This record gives sequence, C-alpha cells and structure tokens, in this order.
Amino acid sequence: MRNTLITFSFLLCSLATAAPVNTGHAEASLVTNLQDTQQESFYLGVRLKMKEGWHTYWENPGDSGGAFEASWVQNEDIIIENVEWPTPVTIPYPPLMTYGYEGDVIFPFKVFRAIDSDLSIVSLKFSFLICSDICIPEEAELNIDLSTAKPSLMLEQTIKNLPIDFLDTKTSVSDETIKIQFQAPKMFSEAYFFPREDGLFTYTSVQDLNQIDNQTFEISIPALTSEIESFSGILRLDSQGYQVKEALEISTPTMSLFSAIIFALLGGLILNLMPCVFPVISLKVLSFVAMGGNDHAKIRNHALTFVSGVLFTFLLIASTLIFIRSSGAMIGWGFQLQSPEIVGVLTLIMFGIGLILLTDINMAKGLTSIGSNAQSRNDYSGSFFTGVLAVVVASPCTAPFMGAAIGYALLQPSFATLPIFLALGIGFAGPYLALALKPQWISALPKPGAWMETLKQFFAFPMMATALWLMWVFMLQTSGDALIQLLVLSLALAISIWMIATFNNAIKWIGLTLTVVAGIQFFTNIPVTQINLEQGTTNSGWNVSLESDLQEKNQAYLINFTAAWCITCQANEKTSLGRASVKKYLEDNNIRYIKADWTNRDENITKSLSKYGRSGVPLYVFWKPGMQSSKILPAVLTEAILIRGMQ
Amino acid sequence: MKALAITALLLISFNAFSAEIKLHDPKLNEPAPNFVEQNSYGVYVQLSDFIGQPVILEWTNHECPYVARHYSKKNMQAVQKAAQKKGFIWLSIISSTPGDQGHVSGDQANELTMSRNASPTHVLLDESGKIGMQYGAKTTPHMFMIDATGVLRYKGAIDDIGQGMKFFDASFNDSVNYISTQLDAVLKNSELEISNTVAYGCSVKYDY
Repeated sequence: MRNTLITFSFLLCSLATAAPVNTGHAEASLVTNLQDTQQESFYLGVRLKMKEGWHTYWENPGDSGGAFEASWVQNEDIIIENVEWPTPVTIPYPPLMTYGYEGDVIFPFKVFRAIDSDLSIVSLKFSFLICSDICIPEEAELNIDLSTAKPSLMLEQTIKNLPIDFLDTKTSVSDETIKIQFQAPKMFSEAYFFPREDGLFTYTSVQDLNQIDNQTFEISIPALTSEIESFSGILRLDSQGYQVKEALEISTPTMSLFSAIIFALLGGLILNLMPCVFPVISLKVLSFVAMGGNDHAKIRNHALTFVSGVLFTFLLIASTLIFIRSSGAMIGWGFQLQSPEIVGVLTLIMFGIGLILLTDINMAKGLTSIGSNAQSRNDYSGSFFTGVLAVVVASPCTAPFMGAAIGYALLQPSFATLPIFLALGIGFAGPYLALALKPQWISALPKPGAWMETLKQFFAFPMMATALWLMWVFMLQTSGDALIQLLVLSLALAISIWMIATFNNAIKWIGLTLTVVAGIQFFTNIPVTQINLEQGTTNSGWNVSLESDLQEKNQAYLINFTAAWCITCQANEKTSLGRASVKKYLEDNNIRYIKADWTNRDENITKSLSKYGRSGVPLYVFWKPGMQSSKILPAVLTEAILIRGMQ
Repeated sequence: MKALAITALLLISFNAFSAEIKLHDPKLNEPAPNFVEQNSYGVYVQLSDFIGQPVILEWTNHECPYVARHYSKKNMQAVQKAAQKKGFIWLSIISSTPGDQGHVSGDQANELTMSRNASPTHVLLDESGKIGMQYGAKTTPHMFMIDATGVLRYKGAIDDIGQGMKFFDASFNDSVNYISTQLDAVLKNSELEISNTVAYGCSVKYDY
C-alpha cells in the first residue's frame, strides 16, 4: 500500500512536467519551442539555472571539468539529435582556464517527429558537473508533456543566438604561433577562439588580436604543436559565436614509415592476384614449371633475374616520381597511364604477347622465356623483362593496402619514398624470391607436359582482353580517329609477327622493313587530339570546393575518384557502384553521388587526393550530416561493404 | 650597496609573484624536476632521495568527485598496490591551498590513508602549490611516472575514461589504465608507447 502511494506520488511529480528540479546548485527543467501539433521539427531545451558563482562546461571544458551527459527516453516516432552547443564563455581559474556557461543557460536539442504521431511525454536523465571553485556532479530526471507544454521564449532566443554561421578563416602555424585570419562580419571589440580539439595551444594563452586591413583580423596564439591537421571550434566576437572548421593544407600523414613499409609489402604481394597482372605472372610461373625440378641453380638464377627486373622498374618509377615532383608537378600512382602515348605502346605490347602465345612462335622465348631449352643469355634477359613488364602492366591496378602506402610515400621526402617503393617491389616479387631461396618448391607444381601448351594459348585471351581495355582508355583519352591509327599499328604488328614466324630469308627482312616503314608513317600522322584539361573535364559536377559547399548545405554525398585506366575502379563500378540497388539506396537516402574523373591529368583532383593522404585512385569519400568529417570507404567495394560504409 | 639590496629584493619578490601564476610543463624523457616538501608526518622528503627506484606522483584532493570515485571504487588503491609490488615509490601530493577544497593537515591525511585503505609511500603537503606548478599539475587526479634514473616518462591522465559525465558511470575494468599497464615499460628506463595524455578531473586548488 505504501509502495503504491510512493509510486503514485512519483508519477504525479513527473507528470507535473515543466516544474524545475532542484539539483543542489541549479534548477533544471525541460522546455520546448513547439508551437502547433503539425510541426515536424522543433527544439527541446534543457534549462539550467545555476546559483551565482557556479558554472558548467562546454564540449571541450578546457583544463578541467567535463561536459554533461543526456540520456533520453522517448517514443520511437521521435528523433532527438545531439545538443547544439551555445557559444561558451571563458571561466578563468588561474593558473587554469576552463570553457563553459554561467547563470541561466539552455542547451537546445533539435527534434524530428513523424507528422501523424501523438505528442506525448519525453523524459531525460541529465547529469552534469557544476563547479564554483569546487566541483559537484549533479543530476536530474526531467519530463515534459509535449501535448500541453507552452513554447519557451528563452529557448527561441537561445536558438536565434546559436553559433551556426561559418566564418571564413585562414589558419596557419608558423614560428610556434597559430594565426587565425578572418573577415569580421560586423563591428566587434573582443575576440576569442574556443578550440574543439585539445593540444593546439595552452588554454590560458593570451589570444592577441590584430587588424590586418579594414575587415580582416588575425588572432595569434602560441602553438603547442606544428602538426595541426584539422582545426575547428567557435570564434566568439563579443557575444556572438561563429563556427570555424578547417582542414589545414597538406597534413602530415599519421602513418609511420614502418607501417607504410609493411603496407607496401602486403600490397605488393596481393598485387600479384590483380586481374591486370595475373596473365603475365602466370606465364612466368609456367616458365618455371617448364624448367622442371632438375636444375635448381637455373631456377634460382631465373627467379632472381625476374626479381631484379621487378625491383629495377619499381625504383625507376619511384625515381621518376621524385624527379617530377621535385619540378613541382602534382602526380600520383598510375600517372604513366595518363599519357595516351604510353597507353598506345602498352596496347601493342599486350596485343603482341597475345599473338605470340597463340601462334607458338619461337621468338616467344626471347620475350617471356617460355620453353625449356637453351641456356642462352637471351633467356635471362627474358626473365628480366618479364619482371619489367609485370610492373608496367600492374600500374593500373591498386591492391588493398597499396593506396595508403603509396599515398604516404608521395607526401614524404625522397629518402622515405624509395624504401616504400622498394618494399612494394619486394612484396610483389615475394613468391619468386621464395622460389630463388628454395628452388625445390617448384616440384610442388604439376609436371610439365602438353597441358602447358594449351594453357599458354589460353592465356592469350586475357592479354587480348587487356589490350581491348587499353584501347578503350586510349579512345577516351584521344579520339576515335586516333583509335583507328592504333588499330592500324596493331595490324602492322600482327603482320610483322606472322612474317617472322613464316619466312626465313631475305623475304622476311624486306617484308619487315616495309611494315615498319608503313607503321612509322601512320604513327607520326596520328592526329592525337588530346583533350584539353580545362574543358575536357567530364567530372559530373565535381569541383575543389564541392565538399565544403555540400557540407554547408547539410547535403550527404559520396564522391567517387576514378579513372578509365584504373581496373580496380572499373571493377567497383560493376560490383557495387553501378548496381541498381546501390543507386536506389543513394536516392532513398538523399546522398549526392559525384564522380571525379582522373583519366586525364587534373591538378585539382590530385590535390584533393593528397588531402586524404592518397596519390591515386580509387578513392571513395562519404559524408552525411552529423559526421564531424568525411570518411574514406575501402578501396575494394562490394554492395554490402559500400552500403554498410554509408550507414 | 643599499640599492643593490633593494634591487635584489625586488627581483626576488617579482620572481615569487610570477612563480605563483605560472604552470610549467616538464619535458618527457628528461630529468624530472627535483623538489623538497614535508610529508604528513612532518618529515622532509625530496625526489632525489629515490634515485635507483621508479617513482609515481599522484595529484589528489579527497573532496574532488573524480578522486573520490577512484578511491571509493578501490581503483586507485589497486593501481597503488600493483605499482608498489614492482618496486615503485608512490607519492600522493596535495596542492590545495589552506582553506580551499582538499586541503588537509598531516593528521587528517594519515586518517584518510587509513580509512581508504590506501598505501602511498608518502603524502606530501604542497600547500604553496610549488610542486604542482613545477610539474604543471592541472587536475586531480594528474599522474606522473619517473624511472629509476630520475627521468620523467609519463604525464597525464590515469586512464582513458576522460572528462565528461560518462566518467561517473564508467567501469574501471573496461578502461585502459595508463599507469598500471605501463609499469614494466618504466622499469626498462625507456620511452613509453603512451607518454603524454590529457589529464581530466577537478582543477587543482592553487592559491590565487
């Protein structure tokens, strides 16, 4: 009986809604600005009326203290967002500095509700730290009955004064000083910057204000660190606060050299399995099989020669990258495929290899060292060039782990770039290094025989397919005319190979010379109409400031940094991005999908990539309202990974 | 001569004044600043007495809710015992100014140690706040670890729970304690993996 009574009286108390709860040093209550029952969105506010001399804290409390916790109890048809912090004040407590609120304050929470839902009671457990020179944790159970609550004027006022507008700032760190430059939107006499992150500067530091020109001002604060990546907080001009959010130029990647090297090793190893490399690698494996299990020294030498070809090419690419970078240009992985000339040559190489495999010409020995006879020097150079070729054809592929490692390498000084590329090469050549160390492992592979001939011929088709794909890239980079020229060259190549295979004497040489002359004639006349960088951007709506624009508009987005020559990108298009279900998901959730096409060189895209610590594609960047900063999705996507990544 | 004396006096008083409001920030992996102070039994204790043994400094204020929870949940005592088992010296330092929260007499300090079943090697009564400012102690608790060679190896929070009201519901078992997990590393006299964190808690009640 007594229990029921207590329960009953408790219910009565909680139903009495807006009645403030005395927590000890403050009176807490729930208020709303809901005006009529048809409103879909409105605010709830926690009003805290603190005794004089007492304060509570902002999200970054400064040197001591801590922010409140709010746990809501409400019906499912109501969504309550995170608190929108009012502009804090400085509460000095020498020798410390804290950030918070004094006196009578309201913490507003935005609320969304299903339009046809009933208005009911919302409850909240609100626990907070309240301090004068001592601190006390207090808490209150608060209730509000939305069907009867009156709109609060003070909440309206608080919402109107929320620091919502973004102030355009330019922040730099030099000489151990953080300098925040901004355009003042109105007259003011005092300015103070409240940082959201810890560790930028000592909170007690004096913030010096200087006028640069009419409207431009600069706050300088002694910095604690020179490595500031992002920078956000509230800038208070007199009583009005403004949001400040910046990603500082070329951030230092957080990865260490050591982990970058581990990533590179792993990435290189996985690269072997990528579709663009697999055929070339398979040929190499076949040649090892053909050597049989007998001559271990020979297998070791071939394996080592192949490895040195791989390493040589990786170092060559690294040196080229360093050289080009030192001349100030922005480039990234796969840059060699941004030149149509190189794509054209690669096409011919792929097509040529395909033909040689199909026609079983003996010259194949020289190029890919297939065949078990002959210990000529030619054989070894074949192994070496297979190594070179494997790396060259690998360039359009990005394996998992590789993107991060190369991104790191390219932002580092040269001495760090080389070891990472070397590690990539060692990872790539890893299986063959193992073979060089233990040639007896070759006997684990099937015995050589007629099946090899069939398999070898079959591998002609992946090569031809690669050639086809490169032709498509070439066409996108140039024009249909140029593509025809490339096809003519392919024909000339096919004729040459046929001649070498069929004729033996002078006729062969005469025929070859004619073909080469004709080929050169066409090649020099290719009307390579390279796409102009300015107008050729088929980037559907991408531009440098797109991200900050969309974030400001609270528009969720998914940016796909891609290129026609990037196989991983194309694969992701097929397996996930291009699928109807994904398109529907994007549509349903109002996520803007933007493609940033890097098929041709584009400095702006390169810069954007480097902002994410990347130097190549693919890169998928996702953001939706409520997220502090955008998020990078995995490089290899499936439908499930993609959609989970956006939830 | 007289002028010299006055100048000297002025300089001293100026120094004393500036020392009063200035928090220093001792450098990691360099010798920890030495200090001398009376413990709760009135005996002078100095840091350099302990060369050859690793030392932990704990800034404390028994009335601070953060400290109170660490002690009432027996968390601080457990960390203390674990450290002492490995040969650490534990110095609890109270920098509250007389009349302010957390300030205690020597007897009161001993009583607190007894009633909380704590086992600090010494409780130092830093009424002037001198040691606190030397080490840049901002909050209670605020922790420092010094290796056996007298080099400062850690400064910051006791664990990863952090400021904010979530502290008062958090489980110490689910948190990472930066002190008890890094005792062995300090014994090796080498740099720590996590050596600098942001201390959280109540502000140290300095005299201002």
